[in-house]
Amino acid sequence: MSSEPLLRVENLKTQFFTEAGTVRAVDGISFEVREGEIVGLVGESGAGKSVASMSIMGLVEAPGEIVGGEITYKGETIFGLEEGPDGELRKRDDALSDEEIRTRIRGNEIAVIFQDPMESLNPVFTVGGQLREFIELNRGLEGEEARAAAIDMLREVGIPDPEERYEEYPHQFSGGMRQRVLIAMALACEPSLIIADEPTTALDVTVEGQILELVDDLQSKYGTSFVWVTHDLGVVAEICDRVNVMYLGEIVEQAPVDELFYETKHPYTDALLDSIPRPDRTVTELEAIEGVMPEAIEPPSGCRFHPRCPDAREVCKRVHPEPTVIADADGEPHRAACVKHDAFDVDYEGSPPLAGATRETGDGMAEGTASELAPNPADDGGEDRE
Amino acid sequence: MKLLKYTIYRLAQAVPVLIGISIITFLLANLGPGDPVSLMLQGQEHSEELVRAIERRYGLDRPLHERYVTYMVGLLQGDLGQSIYYERPVAGLILDRAGPTLLLVVSAYAFALATAIPLGVVAADRRNEPTDHVSRIAALVGVSTPSFWIGIVLILVFAVKLGWLPSSGLYYPWRPPSAYRGIDGHLELYYQSARHLLLPMIALGTLQMATIMRVERTQMIESLQGEYVKLARAYGVPERTVLRKHAFQVAQLPIITIVGLNLSTAIGGAVLVETVFNINGMGQLFVGAIQRNDYQLVMGVTMMLGVLFVVGVIITDISYAYVDPRVTYGERE
Repeated sequence: MSSEPLLRVENLKTQFFTEAGTVRAVDGISFEVREGEIVGLVGESGAGKSVASMSIMGLVEAPGEIVGGEITYKGETIFGLEEGPDGELRKRDDALSDEEIRTRIRGNEIAVIFQDPMESLNPVFTVGGQLREFIELNRGLEGEEARAAAIDMLREVGIPDPEERYEEYPHQFSGGMRQRVLIAMALACEPSLIIADEPTTALDVTVEGQILELVDDLQSKYGTSFVWVTHDLGVVAEICDRVNVMYLGEIVEQAPVDELFYETKHPYTDALLDSIPRPDRTVTELEAIEGVMPEAIEPPSGCRFHPRCPDAREVCKRVHPEPTVIADADGEPHRAACVKHDAFDVDYEGSPPLAGATRETGDGMAEGTASELAPNPADDGGEDRE
Repeated sequence: MKLLKYTIYRLAQAVPVLIGISIITFLLANLGPGDPVSLMLQGQEHSEELVRAIERRYGLDRPLHERYVTYMVGLLQGDLGQSIYYERPVAGLILDRAGPTLLLVVSAYAFALATAIPLGVVAADRRNEPTDHVSRIAALVGVSTPSFWIGIVLILVFAVKLGWLPSSGLYYPWRPPSAYRGIDGHLELYYQSARHLLLPMIALGTLQMATIMRVERTQMIESLQGEYVKLARAYGVPERTVLRKHAFQVAQLPIITIVGLNLSTAIGGAVLVETVFNINGMGQLFVGAIQRNDYQLVMGVTMMLGVLFVVGVIITDISYAYVDPRVTYGERE
């Protein structure tokens, strides 16, 4: 891809300065979004997905702060830092000011759909009024025109009787309908990029299905690009073109969606895939990932996933892997940050497995594939315990 | 229409509350220590016959429940009985004195709201900055200082030392200017009213101001952290509008409750402030009535305060329903 991507995030670092210490919520992530693409940002709660997406909008709230990296949108630097003469980090001159980001980027260029449709709408204003306010701000329409555009958009996202519902308050809408309103808000501002921050997490599965279908339809109609933040790989499989898997503030694997699912290169992604309930398999227990994600205040040394990784070796405690191109998927790079791959020349094979790592045979990858094919993965664990 | 139905419904609900208030005050006024007749005759030679005659005249010789029924029948006709001390109808006495008290309470609230809401918003906006700390200390002082003390200090500073403002009395702006000596025309009357009102208004309003300011701050901070504020910011809404419209509107709901429920505290405070500033209002009437065991007057004033309180709560509920679209009018949709 030679042409400039729509959005490029480079080495983004966002930290929260709390009394307990500095939380490195986003710790040097890089990814890009091209025209018309849906890019997934996947990970467990606390992996830094939402902070990353808020950083793009310049909406990180105190005590959080973007401390490094560069964000480029349509060739313009919307965030960039440089070292001033006194050694302090300061905003680069060519980066947009806060005011420019507010008037030129937020809403009209990059819109956002939040996680919680129940809380995201203001309870004391009508749904139509809120939608209309955003249209007036971001599309320069006024009065009746803005109202008509709002009603059209409500109709477009599948809200029945939009004229009547325009006058209603959020509490008169169901969760699914409110999420449609939020989608209408995003689309109504005619942005080139929509950041969807777990937009279906709070909805039940049938409504989630409807919303995903709606987004898919509207995306092909308007050609809008999406950053889709989610913890649900099922959703990713359904709508994303390319996926970034995040763990503890870092991107650990980055690949086109099919490649990610069929040629998984990172043990964390593997574990995430294993923990999805599969209707085509009978299991007695879901394969949850062992343990919980550590705090981002003091991340583990080396590879941050090593305490929970089935393939962890001694070397994983020492070497911190950066996402590196491991394979090529039809011209698209497949990056992974795991030293078991040959691209990392750190003698993984020669390093002794860590106590607690479950897979102890030579090739972790082959083993991973085998367990994927096993008719009943839960049985393996059962035998080990006996 | 729905709102009207709701209003009627709430008013109907108030009836049992008012009956309860009337029974309790009636019992307290009649069973309390002291005997109005002997107080009336204090220092005078009197025969047993005279006592009987007075008791008969005021109906004090009849059993308690009969007297209660008589009182309630009178009450429904707007007759609150006769004051023993003033020898005038209680209703008339209350009406005469209600004006200054209401003027004082309403202006104290106006002062409290006009200062507390902007201050609370600013404190929330500059959370944990010096402005916020100063406002917090000011609010703490305001809440913990009794209104009569504030009144005395205000008099000392602004009336005695500086001589800027009068220390006592009140000019009633609703009276004709000719009722006062040396006042020409309405304009001067209003000016004098304002000058006289200023210090008692501040004395009475400070507690309300401090309370409202703290609640306003808390509500604004909570509202500013709301997802809807994040959404507004994400769509490029200017920070001023986010603060003044999106966050502000949601934060005002509890303020209405405070104003409504603190009405009784404010009227209680008015009693003290009226004493300090020598204002001839309900407070002085009430205190005097209690001291003289003027039980008819005590009951009348208590009933009126009860009614005011209940009305305050109802107005709170109704304005809540008006301001917050989520409030349904007591019926499921």
